[in-house]
Amino acid sequence: MELDTDVPMEDVEDLKQVSTSATSSSTSGKQPTGITSIGGDASVSDAAAAAKKADLNVSSVNQLDQWIDKLSQCEPLAEADVKKLCDMAIEVLQFEENVQPVQVPVTICGDVHGQFHDLMELFKIGGPCPDTNYLFMGDYVDRGYYSVETVSYLVCMKVRYPNRITILRGNHESRQITQVYGFYDECLRKYGSANVWKLFTDLFDYFPITALVDNKVFCLHGGLSPMIETIDQVRELNRIQEVPHEGPMCDLLWSDPDDRGGWGISPRGAGFTFGQDISEQFNHTNDLSLIARAHQLVMEGFSWSHQESVVTIFSAPNYCYRCGNQAAIMEVDEQHNRQFLQYDPSQRPGEPTVTRKTPDYFL
Amino acid sequence: MDNYNDDLYPLALLMDELKHDDVSNRVEAMQKLDTIAIALGPERTVKELLPFLNDVAQDDEEEVFAVLATKLGDFIPLIGGHENCEPLISILTILASMEEPLVRDKAIASLNKISLDLTNEELNGIFLNLIQNLSQGNWFSKKIASCGLFGSIILKVDSNTRKDLLKLYLKLICDDYPMVRRSAATNLPHLINLLTEFTETSPNDVNKINNQDWEIISKMFQHLINDDQDSVKFLSIDVLISILEFFNKINETSFNSDFLSSALKLIKDESWRVRYTAADRFSKIAVNFVNNESDLYQLIDPFIALMKDHEGEVRKAIAKQLPDFTRLLTKYPSTKVTIINKILPIVNELSQDQQEAVRASLASTITELSPILQKEATIEKLLPTFLIMLKDEFPDVRLNIISNLSVVNETIGINLLSTNLLPAITELAQDHKWRVRLAIIKYIPKLASQLGEPFFNDELLSLCMSWLWDPVFAIRDAAINNLKELTVIFGSDWATREILSRLLDQSDKIDEDKIDYSNFIIRLTCLFTITKLIPVLDFKVIVEKILPFINELITDNVPNIRFNVAKSYLVLVESFIEKKLELPINEQELKKLINLEILSNLEKLQNDEDVDVRFYSTKSIQGINKLI
Repeated sequence: MELDTDVPMEDVEDLKQVSTSATSSSTSGKQPTGITSIGGDASVSDAAAAAKKADLNVSSVNQLDQWIDKLSQCEPLAEADVKKLCDMAIEVLQFEENVQPVQVPVTICGDVHGQFHDLMELFKIGGPCPDTNYLFMGDYVDRGYYSVETVSYLVCMKVRYPNRITILRGNHESRQITQVYGFYDECLRKYGSANVWKLFTDLFDYFPITALVDNKVFCLHGGLSPMIETIDQVRELNRIQEVPHEGPMCDLLWSDPDDRGGWGISPRGAGFTFGQDISEQFNHTNDLSLIARAHQLVMEGFSWSHQESVVTIFSAPNYCYRCGNQAAIMEVDEQHNRQFLQYDPSQRPGEPTVTRKTPDYFL
Repeated sequence: MDNYNDDLYPLALLMDELKHDDVSNRVEAMQKLDTIAIALGPERTVKELLPFLNDVAQDDEEEVFAVLATKLGDFIPLIGGHENCEPLISILTILASMEEPLVRDKAIASLNKISLDLTNEELNGIFLNLIQNLSQGNWFSKKIASCGLFGSIILKVDSNTRKDLLKLYLKLICDDYPMVRRSAATNLPHLINLLTEFTETSPNDVNKINNQDWEIISKMFQHLINDDQDSVKFLSIDVLISILEFFNKINETSFNSDFLSSALKLIKDESWRVRYTAADRFSKIAVNFVNNESDLYQLIDPFIALMKDHEGEVRKAIAKQLPDFTRLLTKYPSTKVTIINKILPIVNELSQDQQEAVRASLASTITELSPILQKEATIEKLLPTFLIMLKDEFPDVRLNIISNLSVVNETIGINLLSTNLLPAITELAQDHKWRVRLAIIKYIPKLASQLGEPFFNDELLSLCMSWLWDPVFAIRDAAINNLKELTVIFGSDWATREILSRLLDQSDKIDEDKIDYSNFIIRLTCLFTITKLIPVLDFKVIVEKILPFINELITDNVPNIRFNVAKSYLVLVESFIEKKLELPINEQELKKLINLEILSNLEKLQNDEDVDVRFYSTKSIQGINKLI
């Protein structure tokens, strides 16, 4: 696999210097009341969720449609609206599962990283939501210039069309990482205070951490964990919290596949590397056909590993506006046929087109 | 007493807010300046607000100054008319003398605006003084400011004062500071244009422009073209153009040979910025020499030299001038032959320039050469170059050629164009860059209306259909729009025969033509296509072909299809109602049809298990009920 050599991978060790006291708003005791963590009760919570989703009333729909219109122009919402939106989003997301079931057909996407215009390009390639169903595997914020607009847009779509779009949590959907890689600063710059950052990072705790497409394709941001052998074990986690520094939930958001077999120490300082033997065993145990994940820059936008038992999808073209990579999304149709669509950065009038080999004079 | 407090309030509020720690608050306070002046009334604005602003203008941040400078430009009515302008002008003078260009420019713009309200007397007094003081100021920013103000009085003074002003300006042109010389050079074309205008409108005025004026201006120009800074020197090109335009207007050609040698000197300058500017304005320069065959001829070699310049930016700029300049060359036989003999070979070289930006620039203008060359030469000399550029590896080059083909079409006719270009178009239609495919699709309706139906059906129709199954949504969407536009051109019967039969009746087709409905994207695309076509199809076709197809999809497994069916029903009814008077059935029958075939199905969808299907079917039912 072609790994990111240009942009340093984020390193959890660095982050330990960002004091956790700065984020004293940790979410202990935020376990929502409605959630059930045992796999057998999934259908019950599903029904509850369905009932809940049907409740979206006319004024909420109009409100959301207005917000979506505004955001499509890359204009951020007012702070008060972000507050309303996050409250509505918690109502939807808290009833989703750790392993959120997703139906085919669906289009699976990787990291977006605040590259709003490229997200709009993605919808030009894959078709607009809700006509096309989407599954995003995390990392909506940081690095790009429009994290606020990107995450607001996706959350709006999630609340407006909960059955049409699934948004998983990435390792960047965290209080600690966003303070280092841009989302915090962007909120401060665009709103003059950290309130919006607080609202969104509190919301991130409710994002589901994995999804299961038609019981066959397991989707998550990072990779596998030595502490997780079955998908049911994921269902038992308490996910409503800041991404921990270690343990199964951390691994799911941080791990990477590797050419070496077995488990390895991750150079990132969080999560593990896992070999082909691990992926094949996991797929066999859980009767899966594929693990789809994001998290790593791949130059062609998608990259197979472990003899097609794992695929990496990356949906931020010309990552950080300088990596020169293509982006990709994966369409899975009703017969589980897969099609990868690759694309280049969007064309923005007035902005110089950054060619593929640009010297790295910023960042 | 109450009244007094009320009156004082706005000013106190402004003063308060202007003391705020945060600059953005102070900027916002300044934005309300006109409201406050209105509240205070003219007298108190002059007596209280302006003195206060005079202090503010010396003690705040640039952002606040910039707003203040802009606002004051509209202040004449608020201070009771131009008689009271002096304190206003003195505040703006302070702002105009600042080193920050943003503030300075705004203040100058406001001063110029105010000058329009002043009487000649006031201009000759206050304004003239102001300019004299500024231009002899001890600091470069004052001199820069003065350069921007000459224009507002140059035509309002008598010829002697004007001469003094021009002499003053000449000093600025020769100033020690390059920044001042730059500002003077930038503003000079405007001054000359004003003089030109004056000469045209009042040729017999007592103060008309005379030779002494021109001697000074000519000195200025000579100074500029010999300036040792290229950032000043390149500005002389616009000055030259203005001067040439003046002499052209008064039909005075005796200086032309001098100007031509100046122009040639600038075109060959060693600084690329000067050459770039000359290239960028080439036709504007050349048009002034068009009445003299030998002058025009002398410009051809310099033009070619610029096309071969070693700086890409220069080649890019001169490529843009190609049509305008060659059009001038058609005036004389001796210059006309050089288009084919001398210029076209270099155009061919440029079409394979190593820099893609140069090729893209050429691609956007090269098609305009065809009406100049006319039919035969276009076919013989230009078409081969078009074909090469259509296959350029850089998408912008291909795009620029395609989007400008219509002008070629007018010269050589659609048949020749299409037989030569169709292979290239077919190739581009399968380009791996989707934006290139998109550009081709957008060109199709234009091509279709000129090709006529039979030719189109044979050559392009299957291409148009194949775009419907493109992996990129944006292409499928454009393909659908394209089919609608084609239906508008060729009619409902054509669409039924050529499009619907391929999309909907699959039973008697051989396998390779068969559409694979098992893929939801294909079903959705079919649904989108026929929905888009509804407004341009005949009623009979809609009822017999479209409606059954839509009805079949209400039980589709994929919810996305089902809620789009709900949306399509609304489009259908909207189209029926819109064409109500032309329909072959009466209102009763139409209502029956809508109830039976549409509303009943929508009601089924209203009980769907998916929330979005329920939402859109409810929305469509409401929409339909509102219509009928």
